[in-house]
Amino acid sequence: MAGSDLFVGTLDVLILKAVSWGPIHGYGIGRWIRQTTRDALQVQEGALYPALHRLERKGLLEEEWGVSETGREAKYYRLTTAGRGELRAAVTRWRDYAHAVTLALDTTGR
Amino acid sequence: MKRLFRLSLGERGVRRDVASEIQFHIEMRTRELIEAGVDPSAAREQAIATFGDVGAIEAECRSETRQRVRTATWREVGDSIVQDVRYAARTLARTPGFTITVLVTLALGIGANSAVFSMVNGLLLKHPPYANSDRMVVLQRPVASLSVADVGFAAPEVADFRSQTPSLDGVAEYHSMSFDLLGHGEPRRVQTGVVSSGFFDLLGVKPLLGRTFARGEDQTGAVPVLVLSYAFWVNQLGADSSIIGKTFTMNDRQHTVIGVLPPLPNYPDQNDVWMPISSCPFRSSARMTTMRSMRMLSLFARTKPGATITDVRSDLATVGARLHAQFRDDYKGIPDEKVSATPITSAMSEGAAPSVLLLFGIAGLVLLIACANVAHLTMARHLRRQREMAIRSALGAGRRRVLRQLLTESVLLSLAGGLLGLALAGPGISAIAHIVARLTARGNEIALDWRVVGFTLALSVATGVFFGVLPALTDGRDLVTRLRDGGATTAGGGKLRARSALVIGEVALASVVLVGAGLMIRSFAHLLRVDTGYDPQNVVTAHVDLNWTKYNNGQVVRNFANAFIDRLHASSGVTAVAVANEFPASSSSPQNQLLFSIRGRPAPDSARMPHAELNYVSPEYFRTIGVPVLSGRSFTADDRDTASVVVVVSRSLAERYFPGANAVGKQITTASQGTTLTIVGVVGDVREFGPAADVPEQIYEPFNALSVRDIRVLVRSRGSAGAMMNRIRDVVHELDAEQPVIEVRTLAQARDEVIAAPRLITLLLGLFGAVALIIAAAGLGGVMAYSVGQRLQEFGIRVALGADRSSILRLVVGQGVRLVVAGLLIGAFAARGVDQLMSKVLVGAEGGEALTYAAVALVFVAVAVVACLAPARRATAVDPVTAFKAS
Repeated sequence: MAGSDLFVGTLDVLILKAVSWGPIHGYGIGRWIRQTTRDALQVQEGALYPALHRLERKGLLEEEWGVSETGREAKYYRLTTAGRGELRAAVTRWRDYAHAVTLALDTTGR
Repeated sequence: MKRLFRLSLGERGVRRDVASEIQFHIEMRTRELIEAGVDPSAAREQAIATFGDVGAIEAECRSETRQRVRTATWREVGDSIVQDVRYAARTLARTPGFTITVLVTLALGIGANSAVFSMVNGLLLKHPPYANSDRMVVLQRPVASLSVADVGFAAPEVADFRSQTPSLDGVAEYHSMSFDLLGHGEPRRVQTGVVSSGFFDLLGVKPLLGRTFARGEDQTGAVPVLVLSYAFWVNQLGADSSIIGKTFTMNDRQHTVIGVLPPLPNYPDQNDVWMPISSCPFRSSARMTTMRSMRMLSLFARTKPGATITDVRSDLATVGARLHAQFRDDYKGIPDEKVSATPITSAMSEGAAPSVLLLFGIAGLVLLIACANVAHLTMARHLRRQREMAIRSALGAGRRRVLRQLLTESVLLSLAGGLLGLALAGPGISAIAHIVARLTARGNEIALDWRVVGFTLALSVATGVFFGVLPALTDGRDLVTRLRDGGATTAGGGKLRARSALVIGEVALASVVLVGAGLMIRSFAHLLRVDTGYDPQNVVTAHVDLNWTKYNNGQVVRNFANAFIDRLHASSGVTAVAVANEFPASSSSPQNQLLFSIRGRPAPDSARMPHAELNYVSPEYFRTIGVPVLSGRSFTADDRDTASVVVVVSRSLAERYFPGANAVGKQITTASQGTTLTIVGVVGDVREFGPAADVPEQIYEPFNALSVRDIRVLVRSRGSAGAMMNRIRDVVHELDAEQPVIEVRTLAQARDEVIAAPRLITLLLGLFGAVALIIAAAGLGGVMAYSVGQRLQEFGIRVALGADRSSILRLVVGQGVRLVVAGLLIGAFAARGVDQLMSKVLVGAEGGEALTYAAVALVFVAVAVVACLAPARRATAVDPVTAFKAS
């Protein structure tokens, strides 16, 4: 169900990117993805959470409970050192991939 | 307001956190939708719709979280253990004196237990390597009136027991003989197990190579076949894997090898090869197959599934009684009808169990002493570490955390001590196995295997927990409170009492161990001193088991024996030569009992018929082994007329049956064949079955009367034993180049071998006693040093008040001696139990427990005085001024 329109691993990269600026709660991450991609990626919002928990289990994210802007206790995520490294690697991977695909698609004739 | 670590989340925590996170999302989304102008009443539903399946998502999140929490918890536990162990190792390394003392103490205590456990394991715990061992029984025919454990069964009886015992689903027969094996290199004399074809199947032994005997292979006329023992195949045939199908010549017939056995216990005997009964010329002879009085077989049987040993015993009683009634004449020599059944496992460890269990118990006591010692060393250490502990507590380590740290230290120490002990026990175990292999069938199963290692590790951990918890319990008060109180003096009182109690306990335990060792040493010393009735010095003996096929009648055997005697007599230094079927200490139990009646007196019923051990000896036998001829004469070379056989009897036999009269000239009649024997001489009593056994009544017949093939030769000489051993071999080989000569040794060695078991037990108990004494003495010294340290101020006051040094010395030594005496008094009660337990292990020495206990007490008091001397010197050297300043 989750992100069937997404390339594998895309959601993870986007999450890592969203968290890279500092502690942020799940709702904030979802909103950031919606806004920056201008709703181009059709993600069911709930799909975000299993991905977050998986990344946390892998040790790429860590949690921190804090008070949200609305005064409610909320779970914040932030990058671990391993997470930061993974983000860097994933961005490079994505760019190489995108570049390769772009090259192929831009070719004219055989 | 931030909660950083939530590692110890329970299931409820996980649910709450996940639900809260997702509720937060939906609330925020609802708020966002309302702000974007969606109708507040519809906003929440829309938020939920865009979110997806809340239940499924929550479940997925929970499972991820649960996994994460679990991994993190384990990692935390692992990390904290590693941390504790590191810290413990660092702490221990800072006090090498304490650490080394404890390690050595524990290594001795645990090592002793590992070594003894290897015996318990190998001899008693392990299942014998027979698949059906739990259903196998050994049948025996004990004859109490002859004090014979098993007179054996005759060939015709095998069929009776097979067909008349419904509780058994198989009976196999066994006997062992030695034969010459020709082919594949040198001729060899091999010990041969002779069995009915079902023997190995009954036991559940699968061959390593080839097969075991097939049904019918034990029938008369079957093609002769052989199964090789593992040891013989490896040692004599180089583990030749193509051995199956090869042939050997035995008893002038070709035998084909059909199988090789796996390694098995040396049970019932140490056999090199195995053959079916049809291949054994002796077993196939007409006499053996038909006569019910030719008893030489052992029977092994398997109980039917569901049948109990009681069923088996009642079946056997029925058959025994039936046979006695049916064949009255054949059972004249054995008055008892009883046929016993013993589970094979207990038959195999027979005799070993009491000694092994005693050693195990004593080793356990040694470890307890070691634990007590380490416990009070640890207490002293805790006292010195109060400040450190208090600081750790102040830094947030709870009482449990501090306890865990202390426990980590003690378990780390005990594991290291255990491994060290295992390293110590390793060589000990192989030495023990080597000795015990000669004493019991399963000695070769004693080894440092995974069970011994597992036992050692488990014992180490238990030891560590024990001596780690003990001091912590006696601490009583919280460590922080103690630091607040500040002084060692207030805490010291209770501490000293606890430590004194430990020392008293140690002394009590050690005195029990020492009494055990003392009793054993006394009993063994008695064995060495006992008058055996013969002179084993300067006598060399050898076993010459003449080849069955070559020496097939009495005349050939006599020719060999006489030629041997003549040739050795001609050798320089030889003063006497004899041949016999047995000699003192060549075996430890009666071999050949003769039932007889005294001529001219009414014959008693068979159960009370006189009996004696019967030996066949050549004329110079008594001179050779130094047994005095008390009246009459020994045999002469002319005593060979079997029609009117002459005999020599031992003094105790003569005194029992002819009290106050000269036995010489009297006649006795054998019960079995009615032969009349004339007594021509009376000789001194001999401890025929070793120094530990009672003096048997004996009858000697001339060697020529039976001309046994299985000869023991005995030579008394003035030369060296080594030269004489070579001379014996040479002479035998001059007479018969193919004749093996075995068991060449001095008569003294034979005597030592027969008491090898008590020697080993004495050695081990002595070692344990020494270790116990040293550990207890070290413990006493430690407590006295501590106590003196506590009382320095008091001693200072005493000196200041004019006490002289010797009165202070008396004070300190007196305190130590009081502790020891208290321990000894408690030990005295426990030692009575040890005495009881040891009754089965002790050999000979009666009484003397009180003496042994007094000796142990004396040793202990002496050791106590020595252990107190160093602390006492410190007490007398105290300078009142310094003592006051220090406080």
